[in-house]
Amino acid sequence: MTPLRLRTEFIKVVGADGVVDDPLELRTYECDGLTGYRVVPALVLLPRDAAAVAAAVRICAREGVPFVARGAGTGLSGGALPVADGIVISLQRLRSIIEVDPVNRRAIVEPGVTNLDITRAAAPHGLYFAPDPSSQQVCTIGGNVAENSGGAHCLKYGFTVHHIHEIDVVLPDGSITTLGGDSPHQPGYDLLGAFVGSEGTLGVVTRITVKLLPRPASVQTLVADFPSVEQAGDTVTAIIAAGIIPAAVEMMDTLAIEAVEAAVTAGYTLGTAAALIVELDGPADEVAVHLEEVQQLCRDHGTTALNLAASADERAKIWKGRKAAFAAVGRISPNYFVQDGVVPRTRLAEALTRIGTLADEAGLRVANVFHAGDGNLHPLVLYSEANGEHERAEHLSKSIAELCVDLGGSLSGEHGIGMDKACSMPRQFTESDLATMALLRTAYDPAGICNPGKLLPTPRLCGERPGPHHPHPLESAGLIERM
Amino acid sequence: MTVKATPIGAGAGSLNATPGMTLRPTSLDELQTALADTTRTHPRLLIAANGTAADWGGRPEPMDASVDVTGLSGVLVYNPADMTMAVRAGTPLAVVQDELSKNRQRVAFDAARVARGATLGGLLATADGGPSRQCFGILRDLVIGVTVVLADGTVARSGGHVIKNVAGYDLAKLFHGSFGTLGVVAEVVLRLHPQPRTEATVEIPGTAEEAFAAAGRIVGSALDATALEWVHDEDAGSRLLVRLEGTPDGVTERVVTATALADGRARTLGGEAADAAWRSVAAVADGTDGDTVLRVGSLPSEGPRLVGLIAAVAADSKVDVAVSSTIAAGVHTVRLRGGDRGAHDQVLRALRPVVGAPCTVHRRDGLGPDTSSWVAPPPAAPLMRAIKQQFDPQGRLGNGRFAPWLTAPGPREKKTS
Repeated sequence: MTPLRLRTEFIKVVGADGVVDDPLELRTYECDGLTGYRVVPALVLLPRDAAAVAAAVRICAREGVPFVARGAGTGLSGGALPVADGIVISLQRLRSIIEVDPVNRRAIVEPGVTNLDITRAAAPHGLYFAPDPSSQQVCTIGGNVAENSGGAHCLKYGFTVHHIHEIDVVLPDGSITTLGGDSPHQPGYDLLGAFVGSEGTLGVVTRITVKLLPRPASVQTLVADFPSVEQAGDTVTAIIAAGIIPAAVEMMDTLAIEAVEAAVTAGYTLGTAAALIVELDGPADEVAVHLEEVQQLCRDHGTTALNLAASADERAKIWKGRKAAFAAVGRISPNYFVQDGVVPRTRLAEALTRIGTLADEAGLRVANVFHAGDGNLHPLVLYSEANGEHERAEHLSKSIAELCVDLGGSLSGEHGIGMDKACSMPRQFTESDLATMALLRTAYDPAGICNPGKLLPTPRLCGERPGPHHPHPLESAGLIERM
Repeated sequence: MTVKATPIGAGAGSLNATPGMTLRPTSLDELQTALADTTRTHPRLLIAANGTAADWGGRPEPMDASVDVTGLSGVLVYNPADMTMAVRAGTPLAVVQDELSKNRQRVAFDAARVARGATLGGLLATADGGPSRQCFGILRDLVIGVTVVLADGTVARSGGHVIKNVAGYDLAKLFHGSFGTLGVVAEVVLRLHPQPRTEATVEIPGTAEEAFAAAGRIVGSALDATALEWVHDEDAGSRLLVRLEGTPDGVTERVVTATALADGRARTLGGEAADAAWRSVAAVADGTDGDTVLRVGSLPSEGPRLVGLIAAVAADSKVDVAVSSTIAAGVHTVRLRGGDRGAHDQVLRALRPVVGAPCTVHRRDGLGPDTSSWVAPPPAAPLMRAIKQQFDPQGRLGNGRFAPWLTAPGPREKKTS
């Protein structure tokens, strides 16, 4: 049965004001942060609690209607892209902070709560939620769980998966279960760990217990300019080799700095080849010693300017510039793609050189912003839709992600595979790797209705994979030949 | 590959005395062949390594052959500058640590049985951990890539050599705590940490309740303690052990702060005393002949009450109790020793309604043969069954582990049938 014919039944579950079917309104859900893909869903549901989510999913399961969960829609890989003739379940109305427990340093929240609101609620207790994706002001914790979001500080603090104790999940058959628990000692398969980062393909999370950390005793942030990205990259390797794990190590190249300064005037040096942002945190004495060492390592590798943030305001300004980088690129280019790939840290310089070559070949500019500490690149491919550069830019962007795989890295460090990179997965994984991942998905979702088409490649979307070459019968007969 | 017709019991623990063949692959290819070629001849397999946790996770049912993975040993790739290492899963972690110490690096993981030769695959499959879980977590947090071989010989990888990686499902998480029921872990890629330049141990005597409060103050003061372990045993009474790591000056400063937070009751342990203190932590987890060892998870603030309850029940049954608690994380390892016949079972029975699912049996010398190694199924047991069904539809691997969760029909199956 089509979702529209189920409208009445959905209204019973989520209320009349919880069903969106107005064509104009539906269009606001046609894409997430990856705006190149657009599909208008048949219906959007806005449930108010977990029971309503479960009831809606049960209807979908009974009728075989595909559904896609959605938070704030800030994802950059099309993970929340609707499915035609399917429904979108928006978690925007599940936005209460149920409890903050400072004694056990955790909070229980609903999935529609924003990342930053968790930290705001924890702040009076001197606590915060560590994962800090650039979109943290608007992105929701439900989306963070789905994507295993990272951010600038995951070099030291890990990803979302390291900061979740327990989740309630509506499974694709409409039943509700709990994964994880009160402590890290849990019996059986680590299904919580496997769920975080599953990109909405294993179920819909409806309640989350997050870990809260005490604010570090001391924080120091410095910006070091370098005459080449290679020198900046080598400095990062040297810092890590010295046994220092900074809270964050970020890098921006000339073009990215130009964009940032045009947008927010954060104080970065225009024209420098690379700026390295190093943030150290921890006990004050520890930070002081490491800060000295980091500055010396920067000098050893030819830094041209060292700028230490003297106050919390100055630190905030540095981060404002860094976090605004994606949007800022809009100042210097009419259109751009944000890419996300990972290379082993020691191959950063090589990756950047090869990205430069690929960009030159494509006749396009690439601005580089990245989490240098963990080799997570965010090349921004600049292009002009008006000049007909879209296809070339898309191809360049894809080539960069696949280059990361070739260098021993990964297609994605934090934005996810979603719709965007599903067809590139065979570049990183073998057929049996992917078939094994599909087993997990089938165990949760045998009917294939939970965010279908995302994460794993499908023949329908990616085309049949070319098999081994078999000569045409006419070729075998010597009647035709191939050049 | 070597194939021996010897009793499986030798390496796999006393619970499985079924004679049969032992397959000992020495490469991924051989492991793949060993599984793929025996689907008909030896349908039921037990995976074993050095046997340091042979009787964890449930009594293995009779098997047709055993797969000894200790031949899958050795480092595959070590990138000191990237701080990652790929290792064959049959490698003892202690061997890996020796190799890493040459570059002043480490796997930040300290489960007690590492000293007895536990392999990386075994440590992952049993979800073991030690005091450093307070800061670094357990292997789920340190393994960034995995290669597994499924029951039909399918080889699958997930993750990779980079720490930040969200491409595809994370099979390492799925296999964490799987007790050999989903496939054989063949290779793991580890994220490494630098060895600390210096470390110190501060001892604060006190009850579990006092230790929980002190640990809260220490965490709240952002001292970045890498271990906060409350230990109670007959020899040394009750005390909180605080491990601080870092630069010499930084550690000195934090020792002073930690000591001040303890109202003058703390003392810094010198090298030998510190080693002895941490050995006593390992001794709780290891146990010895006749002991029962349990590991229980709780909300951290519930820890002291839980420990009190265990002590009370044990006293009723004349059982000696030793406890090692990662007190700020809510993970408690409990060693039962001595007492009347059946007393350990009595303690476990009393705990059952209180602790629920997060209770695992790690040594069962003192338990009756029919006592389950699992206390209560987690809410996701039906999901575990559905996954087992997909990964090992013939039921080849690890039968008996998790009994009866993987076999009994749950609400999910009942509902659909």
